[in-house]
Amino acid sequence: MAEKAKKALKLPESGQWPDSVVPIALVGAAVFLVAGFLMAFLYASPVNGAALSEPVLVGDQMVTNVQLLSQKIFYFHMPVALVSFGALAFAGFYSVRFLMTKEQRFDTCTKIAMEIALLFVVLTMITGEMWTRFEWGLWWTWDPRLTTYLILMIIVIAYFILRNAIDDPERRATYGSVIAIIALVDVPICYMVTRVIPSSIHPVVLREGGMTGDMGMTVAVVMIGMIMLGFVLYRMRFRQVRLTQRVEAIKEQLED
Amino acid sequence: MSVTVKRPSTFTQYKTLLVKDLRQEFRTKEMLTSMGIYALLVLIVYGAALAQTAQVFDILQMSGGLLWALIVFTSLLGLNRSFTAEKEQGCLEGILLVPLDRSVVFLAKATSNLLFLLVVEIITIPLFYFFFLTSTTPSDSFWLIVVPLVVGTIGVAGIGTLLSTITINTRGKDVMLAVLFIPLIFPLLYACVSATTAAIVGGDLFMETFTMSLALAAGYDVIMVLLSWVLYDFVISV
Amino acid sequence: MGDAAITTSKLSKVFGNRKAVDNVTFDLPKGAFLSIFGPNGAGKTTLLRVLSTLSRATSGSAALMDIDIKEEPDKVRDHIGLISHNSMLYMDLTAEENLLFAARLYGVENPEERVLELLEAVELKHRRLDTVRTFSRGMTQRLSIARALIHDPDVVFLDEPYSGLDPHAVEIFDGLIDQVRENRTFVMVSHDLQKGFSMCSHALVLAKGRIVAFDEKENLDFDEFSQIYRATVGMGVA
Repeated sequence: MAEKAKKALKLPESGQWPDSVVPIALVGAAVFLVAGFLMAFLYASPVNGAALSEPVLVGDQMVTNVQLLSQKIFYFHMPVALVSFGALAFAGFYSVRFLMTKEQRFDTCTKIAMEIALLFVVLTMITGEMWTRFEWGLWWTWDPRLTTYLILMIIVIAYFILRNAIDDPERRATYGSVIAIIALVDVPICYMVTRVIPSSIHPVVLREGGMTGDMGMTVAVVMIGMIMLGFVLYRMRFRQVRLTQRVEAIKEQLED
Repeated sequence: MSVTVKRPSTFTQYKTLLVKDLRQEFRTKEMLTSMGIYALLVLIVYGAALAQTAQVFDILQMSGGLLWALIVFTSLLGLNRSFTAEKEQGCLEGILLVPLDRSVVFLAKATSNLLFLLVVEIITIPLFYFFFLTSTTPSDSFWLIVVPLVVGTIGVAGIGTLLSTITINTRGKDVMLAVLFIPLIFPLLYACVSATTAAIVGGDLFMETFTMSLALAAGYDVIMVLLSWVLYDFVISV
Repeated sequence: MGDAAITTSKLSKVFGNRKAVDNVTFDLPKGAFLSIFGPNGAGKTTLLRVLSTLSRATSGSAALMDIDIKEEPDKVRDHIGLISHNSMLYMDLTAEENLLFAARLYGVENPEERVLELLEAVELKHRRLDTVRTFSRGMTQRLSIARALIHDPDVVFLDEPYSGLDPHAVEIFDGLIDQVRENRTFVMVSHDLQKGFSMCSHALVLAKGRIVAFDEKENLDFDEFSQIYRATVGMGVA
């Protein structure tokens, strides 16, 4: 009986319906990202930058109130950050699926979702770094968001280091899944802890206040583009990995 | 030779596993001595690291952080060792061959790790006080650091036990544990440093920061220990 | 029903793309002594680990004493003992403490009596208060037999039990196995063809995870059998 239930389990495989959406999504990603890029510069109104506690030297100029083009980074930074966490959430989902079914396929999905998460986390860190440098005039601050994403990046890297250190596929998949699930739970806690507990030494240099309508529009457009991009990258990488795995399996069969 | 076997209660099995760990440690004192000496060495390094700071330098504000850095690195050392005896002669497989709930193994190991860590803290914290805090006057609420220490150590022992079970089966296990342990423990560390510093420094707003940090640390403990407990079965069964 | 100690049906264990155990089907009656032969990497140890519930089968089914190993692993564990080249003993505990630990985990009634009885049987009663670290290889092996038999298992697995034993220790080991042979089923993995063949009632040859030959010893001629075995070893090398 259990045998039958297992056979009925539908496994993600390359060539299933999501693959047919990939070309459309690819075009969509290109359109939305280009549109978002243009909107960020042409449509969204410039915003007053943060008031700095003291004049800072930025690009050979003493400024007290930053209102720079660098603010445009925000339109890309936030969507990238959200997509990276989304990818981590998918990794967590597939990890749970793996632990429930012990199907290696789900581990492949987790691994690829983690790769996408890593890519987007690194992009988040780069755009975030640019942001802190130009908007806040600091190279680094232990701001809640920065700290959380630093920790997230280290955990994702640790996940891959762990995978590399294990040979047995079943063990690698199980340990990887466990770490992915813990990471998914740990990261929001990390954000909350760093957010709620004020750090006494560093000044809080956050700009408070919401987004205006045109800003929201731009963010939404870039967001859609980034989600599509993430999806396309995931499916393409999945397809590549699955094909490699199938070739390996055929090789193994031919050897017998 | 007739043998009757009656499945013992979960608590009996837990007690048997825990007593075995304690008895082993009592005989060799391997973990306690190595952790104790390591902690002492870190304190000596602190001595050199802080030697050039100004006299008026306020050690109180830093002591919470220094104390927790000491605890994190010392516990890494201990956690790394906690499964070596189990692995040495395949003892862990011997335990897995017994019909018992796998989470009992987790609870027993986490308890023994917690006890060893607490013993090391009982030795090192007076030393820390002696070396660095006798020249200043900590606030009256200093004794309250016991609470964040206990709450933090519970979390360290809980998630540390799960992670050391994972890393014992990997290549380069010592570094591997640090790589997984430090980022995952970060929120707890942050909250505990905040609570400990609040207790040492004192002041008007201290109670507020103290209780809030403690609540967060306790929340982390509950979530992470439960999660480790649930996931342990998967980790130990492969 | 009722007569078979072990039944397996299309049992497979896959590591990635490699089939360590491939479609293994056999029945073993109660009281039999099965020797499993095969070249390195043939899946002998993996098969043993799957049957002893330490490793999960990828597909197929197996039952020990009519209990399914996938459905009720804990019930199966009550009936099995494992003796391997790992002693599963804690080096820093005494012989008595090691056995008591196992007895309490299994829930053996009157553990103290049972432990003394077993220590007498393996002729280690005079050393019962010494730590295992001080024991010779042969003594450790004897103690690990006692540990494996503490709960009076019906099926005993032997994983390369002779590795690292000198001829004298082998003699004692064989004597002990003969003593406890009654009413028990044995499954042994061994490299030593002659030794394994002389002890067994059933023989099984594995190559690349598949059964090449399986029969009762009465139907087998040693020379003929060793030829089959050599052919498979050749296969394994190629």
